[in-house]
Amino acid sequence: MEESGSVDSVESLCSSTTTRSDRSSGPRVSDTELRSKGKATERIYKDPSKGELPLLPEELVQDSAKDVTYICPFLGPVRGSLTVTNYRLFFRSTDREPVFQLDLPLGVLSRVEKIGAATSRGDVSYGLVCKDMRNLRFVHKEPEDSLKKSVFEVLMKFAFPVSNNMSLFAFEYKQVFPENGWKVYDPLAEYKRQGLPNESWRISKVNDHYELCDSYPAALFVPVTITDEELRRVSSFRAKGRIPVLSWIHPESQAAVVRASQTMVGQNGRRCKEDEKLLQAIMDANAQSHKLFIFDARPSVNAAANKMKGGGFESEDAYQNAELVFLDIHNIHVMRESLRKLKEVVYPNIEDSHWLSNIESTHWLEHIKLILAGALRIADKVESGKTSVVVHCSDGWDRTPQLTSLALIMLDSHYRTIRGFQILLEKEWLSFGHRFQQRVGHGDKNHTDADRSPIFLQFIDCVWQMTRQFPAAFEFNEYFLITILDHLYSCLFGTFLCNSEQQRLKEEVPKHTVSLWSFVNSQLEEFVNPLYVHYPSHVLFPTVGIRHLQLWVTYYIRWNPRMRPQEPVHQRYKELLAKRAELQKRVEELQREAANRTATSSSERPGSPTRSITPVQTFV
Amino acid sequence: MMFSGKQTKPTFKSYLPPLQTDLKKSPQLPIKKLEAKLLPGEIIVNEANFVRKCIGSESQDDLWGKLVCTNFKVSFISHNSLPRKRFQCTHRLLGEHDIPLACVEQVVTVNDLKGKQKILGSNQKLKFNPTELILYCKDFRIIRFRFDEAGPESAKKVCLAIAHYSHPADPQLLFGFEYVGKRYHGSTGDRVNGVDPGGGMQTPLFDCSSDWDREIKRTGASEWRVCTINQGYFISPSLPEFFVVPVSLADQDLKQYACFFYSQRIPLWCWNHPSGSALVRMSNISDPQQQRKVEQRISSAITKSHPLRSDVFKSDLDKNLPNIQDIQAALLKLRQICVIDPFEESEEKWLSSLESSRWMEYVRTFLRHAVEVVYMLESRNVPVILLENEDRDLSCVISCLVQLMCDPHCRSLHGFQGLIQKEWVMAGHRFLDRCNHLKKNDKEESPLFLLFLDCVWQLWNQYPAAFEFTEVYLAVLGDSMWVPIFSTFLFNCPRQRAENSRDFASSKSIHLGQDQALRFPPVWDWSQQFSLKDQTLFNNPLYVGKIATCVQNGTVKTFTHRRSKKNYSSTLRGLPSALRNGSLGPNDTLARRNSLVLRLRSDLSQVREQQETPSERFIRDYFSHPVDLQGLLLPQLLPSHLSVWKLYFLRWVPEAQIPQGGPITAFHKLSVLTDEIEMLQSQLRQYKGAGSTPNNLHAEHSKMYFKVTSTPHQTPSPPEYLSSSFPFSPVGNLCRPGILGTPLSKFLNGAKIWLSTETLANETF
Repeated sequence: MEESGSVDSVESLCSSTTTRSDRSSGPRVSDTELRSKGKATERIYKDPSKGELPLLPEELVQDSAKDVTYICPFLGPVRGSLTVTNYRLFFRSTDREPVFQLDLPLGVLSRVEKIGAATSRGDVSYGLVCKDMRNLRFVHKEPEDSLKKSVFEVLMKFAFPVSNNMSLFAFEYKQVFPENGWKVYDPLAEYKRQGLPNESWRISKVNDHYELCDSYPAALFVPVTITDEELRRVSSFRAKGRIPVLSWIHPESQAAVVRASQTMVGQNGRRCKEDEKLLQAIMDANAQSHKLFIFDARPSVNAAANKMKGGGFESEDAYQNAELVFLDIHNIHVMRESLRKLKEVVYPNIEDSHWLSNIESTHWLEHIKLILAGALRIADKVESGKTSVVVHCSDGWDRTPQLTSLALIMLDSHYRTIRGFQILLEKEWLSFGHRFQQRVGHGDKNHTDADRSPIFLQFIDCVWQMTRQFPAAFEFNEYFLITILDHLYSCLFGTFLCNSEQQRLKEEVPKHTVSLWSFVNSQLEEFVNPLYVHYPSHVLFPTVGIRHLQLWVTYYIRWNPRMRPQEPVHQRYKELLAKRAELQKRVEELQREAANRTATSSSERPGSPTRSITPVQTFV
Repeated sequence: MMFSGKQTKPTFKSYLPPLQTDLKKSPQLPIKKLEAKLLPGEIIVNEANFVRKCIGSESQDDLWGKLVCTNFKVSFISHNSLPRKRFQCTHRLLGEHDIPLACVEQVVTVNDLKGKQKILGSNQKLKFNPTELILYCKDFRIIRFRFDEAGPESAKKVCLAIAHYSHPADPQLLFGFEYVGKRYHGSTGDRVNGVDPGGGMQTPLFDCSSDWDREIKRTGASEWRVCTINQGYFISPSLPEFFVVPVSLADQDLKQYACFFYSQRIPLWCWNHPSGSALVRMSNISDPQQQRKVEQRISSAITKSHPLRSDVFKSDLDKNLPNIQDIQAALLKLRQICVIDPFEESEEKWLSSLESSRWMEYVRTFLRHAVEVVYMLESRNVPVILLENEDRDLSCVISCLVQLMCDPHCRSLHGFQGLIQKEWVMAGHRFLDRCNHLKKNDKEESPLFLLFLDCVWQLWNQYPAAFEFTEVYLAVLGDSMWVPIFSTFLFNCPRQRAENSRDFASSKSIHLGQDQALRFPPVWDWSQQFSLKDQTLFNNPLYVGKIATCVQNGTVKTFTHRRSKKNYSSTLRGLPSALRNGSLGPNDTLARRNSLVLRLRSDLSQVREQQETPSERFIRDYFSHPVDLQGLLLPQLLPSHLSVWKLYFLRWVPEAQIPQGGPITAFHKLSVLTDEIEMLQSQLRQYKGAGSTPNNLHAEHSKMYFKVTSTPHQTPSPPEYLSSSFPFSPVGNLCRPGILGTPLSKFLNGAKIWLSTETLANETF
């Protein structure tokens, strides 16, 4: 019991998804490893309603209540008991067999509120709005003793620890995994893989203590011809000091992908000669092209409007040989609104007759299309045009990582592997300061915060779209992407906490929390796409037409019980692999047997292999 | 105005002599051997030299060559090859640039200097010299030729010839007659010039009583018999000579009832559910006074043939399904947004335009109706009569879908082909009219068969391992409708085939011998069109092999509906073991790791009973269990789970092509793996001494298109030519016309979605 229970505790971390596909078959090597680790961890059992709730290490039951009714949009009212721990909400039905359970990390909650006043029977209704595209509703009797807190008040406290001056569960959770995911990304090793530093690009220590830019990583690659002093001057000309630095370099053409924030041109058209020199140096570092493309992710109107606030974009007068392209991607507020509409369309029920036009009216796929189209243009310029590019939006931490990381996935097959993708996230998103804390609002009850936005979800959606178009080009499967999204919200792992590398270092996140990659890399086979073919230098050019984009049904509609998990091709492929292995074994056995026979009967005809095979009588 | 109104059309024969080629006018340039490849019975009608075929948006890609019109096809022969030569299936009857005349939907001639354009029908005049010819094809292609350097007269004549010959006045002018007729001359053997009328094939054609006998045995329909009263088509003109009826109805009764039904169509047995419930199709009874009586007699006979004597359920298709005009209108709208509207324009409103075309909605309606029927058979265990006015359109789709869902045999290649023979060809679907091969009556045209293929594709897409064939097969089958030589798609009913054959034979002094009809090859004789190698594209590497269905010791072992044992299921994946049999034990250690939804599903059986219909409950129950791919297959009907059949509808659209991507790249890998397994199996057989097949024969026998290379374990990278359109190619197949800066679509936006001959013939620009 102890043993299997501990496996369960690890398994229960797997995201609550319907799309778990490749799990039922294949050897699960890591199970034994996890089991042995599990033994060491302390197990706590609580028995709230006869159903055991296996807890994670350091997970403690905070409160539980019987007689709670879950108003399921699909099943109707379900009566049962509710348990709240410092990590999860756990609901278990008492009035039906088989048992109905709800088990979700508190981190997915964005809003908990009482709906309406108590009824005459003393019932109070609570609505839970989740970040993962569902809403939950419970009805609960108000405790007769007014001093006693309702379980939902306890829930509110633990759902929003940051607002209550408590720490996130990630800082408590002490599971030990065979692999330490914090070691996945080593900036210098990654740049070295790209052949850096080289004669044109050097590593600068100017941001070693995050003095130049507190939202940038310590390790920055810049053209050798630019001094640190010049970089400091550039930083005052770029929003939030986010200067143009290298993201990726083409191994052959030396065309570079450079990221930055907007220039602080303002209404008076300020210029900065160091910035101009830097961009010229970026262009010069690539001998193949005498042009530089600047991709401004924003619609040109928005970019121009930013001049009022001191921002703006590079003028082609100031930056000779540079061509500026606007990619028309909208800002975080538009994206948030689009997802809100999408949720209305897909949850709880979908309207059969107007499904397509409803999807269209959310504009979600249109945004996905624009982002992918932008990334495609970048990748095309770098690969086909052999031209270096600079990518920025306003601050360079939302649309910019979307674009650069998607372009990098198109350009570099390494980022399509499981580990490569982890490195990409660590580098383009985490180290370059995508504001995960702000955009997701971990543990923060302020659900109306205008800084929240599904930017990262959008990026993962784009990656998923690409995996649909190139089913053999990615090492990871859909479950991998869903797991990442689930733990974006769960607050179980430290990976997506804080807003920048500097903050994570200050909070000692790697020291006090577990990395999501520790968990993932300890059971890699769960996340492997069996159809993956590694072809080293293969650039993907996805088709970005809306005809080829589809709603990610297995993510957005997964709570609908009418949803049937799909991915039969992967499953079937695994079966075929097993069959092949079995046949190979049998053939080898027979070959050995045949070889022995010919050896003993002093072979007369060693020539053709077919001749040497005599019917094996013993074979049944 | 002079072209409006139907004129009596001249025959081919009278039209032929006046046309002459204009070769003499352009002898200065040596054109070497630009000759059309002709099939037996094919003759050149007209041709023009120095024609440019438009390939892409840039004119430098265009090909120069000769445009030839024969009595079979529009052929373009060029010395140049395509700029980017992509892989293409080589068609044995058609060259790379050939279009069968039957595939030409509309012939549009343009003179861009004068700003004129005209849609050409049969036997019309053209008052201007065309600079451009646009052929709109039934398979969604748009082919464009330019005559800038061609002689104006010869250009005009070739356009007129194409227009005329693509509107044959009589079924016997369809090329298949000449083609097959030719083969009777000078041939004595049984196989007429390679045309194998189904003899050597495993696909039953259901044109003889033994095929029906086998089907009765296979499905265990012991209370049903083959009826032969329609031999010689003396009873019903649209029924086959052999069909199946309840044993309790004597021939005499049937003859008596026949007159009450539309076109004397005695109700037809389609299939028996393993439980003994029959699926029957029936036309309306024309005489209202007799209706009740006759219906009752038929129903009680069907009930008598049921093991439990269950009452019959009647499913009225006309009431519940869109009619043939609705379906045609939907396809035209779909075609508009897929290929005619400029790509960028249609992108903006793609989803809502798709919705308003209603094509997907109809696909869903048909699937849902079939599921309802399956519910009656499977769950209620009652016989079902599909009731349709003429019983020749909607019933074909529904009866096939029901059988595909219930009977795994129908998901094998030969089972599927037999199904189409049974429910479409023999049951008298009016292929000639619905395909509008004679372009006589647009109102009769309807893409019912394509709709059916789309429904099959949706099932295939949801359960790819349950079908022996691929989506390429389905697409090629759809395209074969427009190659007018196959018995399958040329006629409205078997009798029409026999009559036309007789007439044609007597006019050509062909001795038919014992044959009832000319030996048109069925489309199932795939070697007519493709090499054996290319045919392997039809084989699905995912297919989960069949369970033998055979007769043993007189008792019928039919397919069973086992729901367990074989874990090929797609829903199995990820389910904790205890969920697999639908229950969730509290001690299941895996229970918590998975989703809410799984639990919901297992839990669903308890709730909602009050609000859902029994058939909804049946569907829900179905999805709460693992699916047995060799058992019942129900499609997921949520609109989010039905998708556009991209391979078919978008294959010609260059902008929608995914280079080196698409499902084919997964198919490639699967194909190689399956090939490797086949190779290992043949090696094993060798070792066992069972087969003496030498190792190297494997390559030729392999069923897979993509084969394992010499270094196994190392999957080769997918070939560069793979794309989401594979094995088709957009190159040169979709040239949206831009006329004088006016996109044709704008010009068309007014009255009709699709060019209609009547409206446009009179337009003068």
